[in-house]
Amino acid sequence: MDILFILIPLSVVLVFAVIGIFAWALNSGQFDDLEREGERILGADDTGRFPPSGNVDSDQAQ
Amino acid sequence: MAVASVLTERAVAGAVDDDLRALDDPLNQASFTTFSQAQGGAREATSQFRVSGMYCAACAGLIETALQGVDGVLEARVHSATALALVRWDPLRTRASALVEAVRRAGYGAVPDAAASARAQREAEQRKALWRLFVAGFCMMQVMMYATPAYVAEPGDITPDMLRLLQWASWLLSLPVLLFSAGPFFSGAWNSLRQGRLGMDVPVSLGIAVTFIASSGATFDPGGIFGHEVYFDSLTMFVFFLLGGRWLELRARHKVALSLEAGTARLPDSVERLRPDGGTELVAIARLAAGDRVRVAAGQAFPADGVLLEGRSLADEALLTGESEPVAKQPGDELVAGSLNLRAPVLMQVLRLGEDTRQAGIVALMRSALTQRPRLVQQAERFAGPFLWAVLALAAGAAAVWSLIDPSRALWVAVSVLIVTCPCALSLAAPSTLLAATGALARRGVLLQRIEALEGLAGIDMVAFDKTGTLTRDRLELGETRVLGAGGDAAALLGRAAALAELSTHPASRALVAAAGDAARDATWREVEELPGQGLEATAPDGTRWRLGRRAWVDARLADSAEVPEGALCFGRAGDAQAAFVLREQLRDDALATIAALRAEGVELALLSGDAPARAAALAQRLGITEVQGGATPADKLAAVAAWQAQGRRVAMVGDGLNDAPVLARADVSFAFAHGSAVARSGADVVLLGERLADVLVARRQARRTLSVIRQNLAWAALYNAACVPLALVGWLPPWAAGIGMASSSLLVVLNALRVAQLAPAPGQG
Repeated sequence: MDILFILIPLSVVLVFAVIGIFAWALNSGQFDDLEREGERILGADDTGRFPPSGNVDSDQAQ
Repeated sequence: MAVASVLTERAVAGAVDDDLRALDDPLNQASFTTFSQAQGGAREATSQFRVSGMYCAACAGLIETALQGVDGVLEARVHSATALALVRWDPLRTRASALVEAVRRAGYGAVPDAAASARAQREAEQRKALWRLFVAGFCMMQVMMYATPAYVAEPGDITPDMLRLLQWASWLLSLPVLLFSAGPFFSGAWNSLRQGRLGMDVPVSLGIAVTFIASSGATFDPGGIFGHEVYFDSLTMFVFFLLGGRWLELRARHKVALSLEAGTARLPDSVERLRPDGGTELVAIARLAAGDRVRVAAGQAFPADGVLLEGRSLADEALLTGESEPVAKQPGDELVAGSLNLRAPVLMQVLRLGEDTRQAGIVALMRSALTQRPRLVQQAERFAGPFLWAVLALAAGAAAVWSLIDPSRALWVAVSVLIVTCPCALSLAAPSTLLAATGALARRGVLLQRIEALEGLAGIDMVAFDKTGTLTRDRLELGETRVLGAGGDAAALLGRAAALAELSTHPASRALVAAAGDAARDATWREVEELPGQGLEATAPDGTRWRLGRRAWVDARLADSAEVPEGALCFGRAGDAQAAFVLREQLRDDALATIAALRAEGVELALLSGDAPARAAALAQRLGITEVQGGATPADKLAAVAAWQAQGRRVAMVGDGLNDAPVLARADVSFAFAHGSAVARSGADVVLLGERLADVLVARRQARRTLSVIRQNLAWAALYNAACVPLALVGWLPPWAAGIGMASSSLLVVLNALRVAQLAPAPGQG
């Protein structure tokens, strides 16, 4: 049971670490617009075509 | 060293001043301030600011007070739900920077309201709120885990050392919740106290602070005056739930702001202008002038009101008219700034720009509506003050009484009383509900010039309509065809007449063409001649001359005929009329359905028209309206409405915003259809942007729903407080239960308020 005397302070440190990671994610804009990211795949932009060369399955290559 | 630090301090202060001084630059001011001439010729300015740091409706009052304290401010209105401040001020006596400074001194932030900065501010506000919520949530989870052993363990299971360790860990994790997450409550409470008022944050922060101090005392000095009970779990949970409610409210508020802004933010920054030599150049929209020709690509918004010159396309005018279907556009059609060109690139000619466009009118109207604080909200706020005083008094009283009965519980009972009371229905729910309702109506193209109109609208029991342009459109349609000669075929005659009418643009001719539709038009006419005021004359294939026009001109025998009414179109050889086409005004598409639906809801209907009594009566008969007054002057209309009001009826007038101003002002609620760019100039309470009469019905239903939601919230608040405060007073409600009760009650109120963000589906419509 003595191990708890280390584990409990450790869990406090862990919580602060998690909060720190969340802060980073939040401030880099990851939560700004949750709907838009889901719809991005439906948007019509021509940057997402086939890669210019290689890495294309032979039956998909034109 | 000392000199250097003074210098840097100056530099910093100077930078802030520069930031403020930039507001006084006339060029910058143009984006958020409009200047106008007041009575007496003095110039006055109206500025719009976005306020940050507002957490409850009471804050709006504080900021208003602060702004009104500035010398030279004529009027200050702050709307809590949109966080917008509208200030009218005298440019001779004060400056824009002084206004911002006053708001800052009161403990809030203010930035000029230009859409871009508003968006950035919203994003920052949202991030901050989410950040606070997350910190509170995560710490709450962990504190709960530390608290669990104390709840489930049998006495003696946990060593005192371990219990102390768990309490210390809880205390450590409660610190960020108290110092950071609960910050808005403390700053809100402090701001309202400093202004000598009592906001809803005061009891909340008092409860939080007392809980933390007492629990800390119990943690570090278990034998001390605070006993040995700790409530860190209740504290963190309370803060988390309360922040959760505010987060939802914030999201909803941002959504409304976004949908209203969508219409305004749509204008492109630069446009492709055609040079006189035929080339094109890219210019900023501000450099456009009326008369310029502009190419608009598909997917781009039209930069100005104008006329389509070349190309065919579809336009999405949903934000400007509430019309959800794309509208087909061909050369000669009008284009509205801010609507979206959907299909093909077109060339347009600019007619009106900037402030003169219909879009600018709509935006101005929305802004002024959103900064109002309706009477309903003011009333609720007036109640909130005494209510909060009563809560504080009850908490103090409970502490005093319990310290005689059981001193160890006195503190917790007082805390429970403080946090169980839920004043949010009084201070938060009414503005949220009204805002959500206004936003929903605006999306349908129904703009409220006064939000208070919602209140009046719900109680309307009589609707008076103007005729032309309201019930009818300014175009004619064929009512009936009368065959005059023996053996004539009505359809064939109509087809021949339509073939002739096709060659004219007169409204009566158009009505005939529309009525004939695709029916066979085999007749070919030669030598067509149009005589103004009389009609058309042309030669038929058999060489005879035929006439289509006024009865006396076509056939002198019909000059005083009872069979053919004056105004009918006659058709036949000169002196031998074959058919008479009786024309009538075309009703709006949904006029009949709307009238029927209004009557079904128990609303009395009336027709007040300046047109000839016979025509007004005929139209009223078609619609089944019994109360008719034709040939009415504006004074007659006013008298009629006043007479109905004297009988105790509450009258809504639907009319033409520009010509019916006096009677619109007299009616309890007034509706007007928007005419072009004159949107904001009409004096009506409700401006209908679309061409649907049914919007009157929709607005009335929405108003009734809104008021019933507000009433539900008030009833719930009364019930909840009446039930829970006594429980807390007698000590049956521990702080954690009080926290859950208060948080879920405010969540319920907010969620209920947001129901009106969607319009109720109107029967008979998709």
